[in-house]
Amino acid sequence: MAGQLIREWTAIQQFPAATQEKLVDLLGKLKNENVNTLTILVMGKGGVGKSSTVNSIIGERVVTVSAFQSETPRPVMVSRSRSGFTLNIIDTPGLVEGGYVSDQVLETIKSSLGRFLLNKTIDVLLYVDRLDAYRVDNMDKQVVKAITDSFGKKIWHKAVVVLTHAQLSPPDALSYEEFFSKRSESLLKCVRQGARISKKDLQNFAIPVALVENSGRCNKNEHDEKILPSGTPWIPNLVHTITDVALNGKEGILVDQKLIEGPNANERGKLYIPLILAVQYFFVIKPIQKWIKDDIARETKPSWD
Amino acid sequence: MSSFAAPAHLLPLSTRRRNSSTNAVVSHISSSTSIIQCNLPSLAATSSSQNPKPSKSSPFLLNSIISPKSLAVSAASCILFHIAQPILSGSDSILNYSGGGGGGGGGSGGGGGNGGGEGGGFWRFFSPEAVAKDDDPQQEWDSHGLPANIVVQLNKLSGFKKYKVSEIMFFDRRRGSTVGTEDSFFEMVSLRPGGIYTKAQLQKELETLATCGMFEKVELETKTNPDGTINITIPFLESTWQSADRFRCINVGLMPQSKPIEMDPDMTEKERLEYYRSQEKDYRRRIERARPCLLPMSVQREILQMLREQGKVSARLLQRIRDRVQQWYQENGYACAQVVNFGNLNTKEVVCEVVEGDITQLLIQFQDKLGNVCEGNTQFPVIRRELPKQLRQGQVFNIEAGKQALRNINSLALFSNIEASIQPGGTVSFEHRNIKGLNRSLLGSVTTSNFLNPQDDLAFKLEYVHPYVDGVYNPRNRTFRASCFNSRKLSPVFTGGPGIEEVPPIWVDRAGVKANITENFTRQSKFTYGLVMEEITTRDESSHISANGQRVLPSGGVSADGPPTTLSGTGVDRMAFLQANITRDNTKFLNGAIVGERNVFQLDQGLGIGSKFPFFNRHQLTVTRFLQLKNVEEGAGKPPPPVLVLHGHYGGCVGDLPSYDAFTLGGPYSVRGYNMGELGAARNILELAAELRIPVRNTHAYVFSEHGNDLGSSKDVKGNPTEVYRRMGHGSSYGVGVKLGLVRAEYAVDQNTGTGAIFFRFGERF
Repeated sequence: MAGQLIREWTAIQQFPAATQEKLVDLLGKLKNENVNTLTILVMGKGGVGKSSTVNSIIGERVVTVSAFQSETPRPVMVSRSRSGFTLNIIDTPGLVEGGYVSDQVLETIKSSLGRFLLNKTIDVLLYVDRLDAYRVDNMDKQVVKAITDSFGKKIWHKAVVVLTHAQLSPPDALSYEEFFSKRSESLLKCVRQGARISKKDLQNFAIPVALVENSGRCNKNEHDEKILPSGTPWIPNLVHTITDVALNGKEGILVDQKLIEGPNANERGKLYIPLILAVQYFFVIKPIQKWIKDDIARETKPSWD
Repeated sequence: MSSFAAPAHLLPLSTRRRNSSTNAVVSHISSSTSIIQCNLPSLAATSSSQNPKPSKSSPFLLNSIISPKSLAVSAASCILFHIAQPILSGSDSILNYSGGGGGGGGGSGGGGGNGGGEGGGFWRFFSPEAVAKDDDPQQEWDSHGLPANIVVQLNKLSGFKKYKVSEIMFFDRRRGSTVGTEDSFFEMVSLRPGGIYTKAQLQKELETLATCGMFEKVELETKTNPDGTINITIPFLESTWQSADRFRCINVGLMPQSKPIEMDPDMTEKERLEYYRSQEKDYRRRIERARPCLLPMSVQREILQMLREQGKVSARLLQRIRDRVQQWYQENGYACAQVVNFGNLNTKEVVCEVVEGDITQLLIQFQDKLGNVCEGNTQFPVIRRELPKQLRQGQVFNIEAGKQALRNINSLALFSNIEASIQPGGTVSFEHRNIKGLNRSLLGSVTTSNFLNPQDDLAFKLEYVHPYVDGVYNPRNRTFRASCFNSRKLSPVFTGGPGIEEVPPIWVDRAGVKANITENFTRQSKFTYGLVMEEITTRDESSHISANGQRVLPSGGVSADGPPTTLSGTGVDRMAFLQANITRDNTKFLNGAIVGERNVFQLDQGLGIGSKFPFFNRHQLTVTRFLQLKNVEEGAGKPPPPVLVLHGHYGGCVGDLPSYDAFTLGGPYSVRGYNMGELGAARNILELAAELRIPVRNTHAYVFSEHGNDLGSSKDVKGNPTEVYRRMGHGSSYGVGVKLGLVRAEYAVDQNTGTGAIFFRFGERF
């Protein structure tokens, strides 16, 4: 990363004035807390709108998005700086491949992280899913589990659950709010299960939920800001949530060799090998030898012997 | 001889051809047959003359044929044991006998047997059928030429005629009745109804009967028949002695035969008494000197019972006792044991003298294909150490020990051979067996389909085997082996789970050297330890070295970024490690069913030598119990017991674990009902199995249940091949099966998918 020139976040100018104002406000808040860099990792299943969300936050088409070929082949880091503040967003490929959580993708993500930000921290994880999915299944849990296994449970301290396709009309007999709370609750429950967050840990892991609508047909308010059906402009809202999480006092996830390579099972217990060997000799081989001796002694001798 | 005064004890009176020693011959001919042979020369000689039915005590000859190996070199080695030494030599010329050539087991070294011979004394009693009848009955016979139905004295018969005997009868004078043909006396005569005999033969027969000790008085009368044949009646008075209430069995083998002193007919009464007294004293001393015999108390008590029930000791009773004693010896493998005499008759005690067949000398001989004695290559100690103790000098010969010796020697697979061959198919091989006569061997072969470009499919093997590391005289049985090897196997690590499209295979090539020492504790229990140095190369389908497994992408493409195949990450690993394996196996066949237990512990200890300095401790413990669920009687043709097999296998590794050394789950020797590796590849595994075997006719049917589990350690294999190839990491199965010869046919249900399938497999699961 060092060699790569960080581009000025010019696209921020593209946002409506009201949004710009709020964003600058939030960045100022971060700077006040002495946070000069914000690194956001975006993860989730494929085709849920991760890349679009990244584009929306940056305000420009930094990551190619196409409606049908939803795959981002490899992780991409987008970095923008503005008046001494750097924003890094890492977009990743969908974690589900052919109906299974792909370890391979996880490996790629981790190794990319190693390249992008070795010995730096991940400040926020955006766990992206769609609002307009009606059901959570085992796959969601597997995805969460895979993320937890790779980055540790503590990454959920720094997580925001992002629900895309927020502009929807809920199925009959449900209000938008009801639908949203049901959906987010079930997803959060799934996350808690997948991340093995116990009931008593619940307070510790308050995972906020943010809504996103990346579509160009997104409704806008009088300030030309994209708004949610509730009327809230979602980009400032999202960035606000991100800022909150970034500043929630919990430590970010340090990207080090260990994280990238995962726990090296080959190294585990190596020191104890001499001890293990001694135990095997005295408590396995020796007893078996004794049994053999006993066998020989006990052997029913043929009558002629 | 017609009046036979029963003395206080019976000693052989005249020429007694007896051999209390044994010839045991083990020969190893041209590596295809081994023969062990016990020659009882006297018996061989006598019984070989003409027995209508095979005598119980005929010399036995065992031919055990091991799979014949065709040898290019015909320098055959043959080993022969000759265990004989006339122990009585020097005492008297009559006790010098020559080894009977009977049986003729590949030309034993014994001298020529002189068949028949003068049987006499009580000995005849026990081998009555040995009476020589020199020529076969001829078809032509002469009519007696006398009026019918008259009784003719034996000495009135013509010496020139051949009489045809149509009937033989024994007449018991004491009971005043004829005895049935089932009576044991009928064993005593060699005459058979329908046979044709001369007067001399009949006289000899009578003499034999008279001297056998069974009868106080015996005669032979003939009666003429109208058709020219004769009937023979043998009136007799059975010998009886006073009743006895003690029984003693002594082993008189290896004892010099006391020589009977001729009784002078002119002895005075006093001298006679003196004579009897001295004889009695001699006999007592003899009893004292005799070694105790092997006959167990239970049989002795049985005999005592017989004596008590009977009251007077009669010849028939002695015959029955003899039969009972000999039966026990036969049943227990003492094939050479013989009751030779009953002594101390007319006292309260019956003394049964047994020659148990002591081995007096052990000779090892080599024979060529034709059975001629030749010089062998194998050193004698190599053979000698395989002989059970029971077959050593001074022991009683036992046929089971002989069989054991035979098995042991056959299992040495001794044959001296130097051979080299080139086959057009592409195999060059050579072998040098039984080097220095110490059964060391050097074997090598190289196979390739194309010698001009051999790197493609070169398969080689070179092995040197060096038995008796601790010396051939040392009972410790350790064998040193050194070998170069290579192998190519399909890795079960890179196998897909259920419903996964074909996973591109990975071949694991191993080539290296191995040196180890095997210590055999028993036939089945052993301890092997040694050093292995090998190079492992992993290749894809097209034989290119591949550092990672391949995986099929959802799009259908193949990506070569699967789990790493080697520790080094290059596709080629080199490593040196120590390997130890201890096997404790006390399983045995019980009427065809395996019972017992088997424990195997195997350890690979990395030394940190090789690519990426591999340091690891890879271990496996297998415990298998074959529990007999019912007590059954052991014996041929008896049904086997139902058996419950419990099996557990733990495998684990601490330290560096390349994927080719990961433990795989699933497969016929892991969890049945799944393919090899279908359940996963892990760092630690546990497999449990239970199988119940129910005997059905002469085979068995079984039900089983098995489970394999990765203990959550699949992720501890680099690249997690279990997950990459969508495997469960654990699984159970159950099923039923039947054993058909070597093949197992089984129906196994895999519980992950709930589907079943029929499998046919060779060999045993456990």
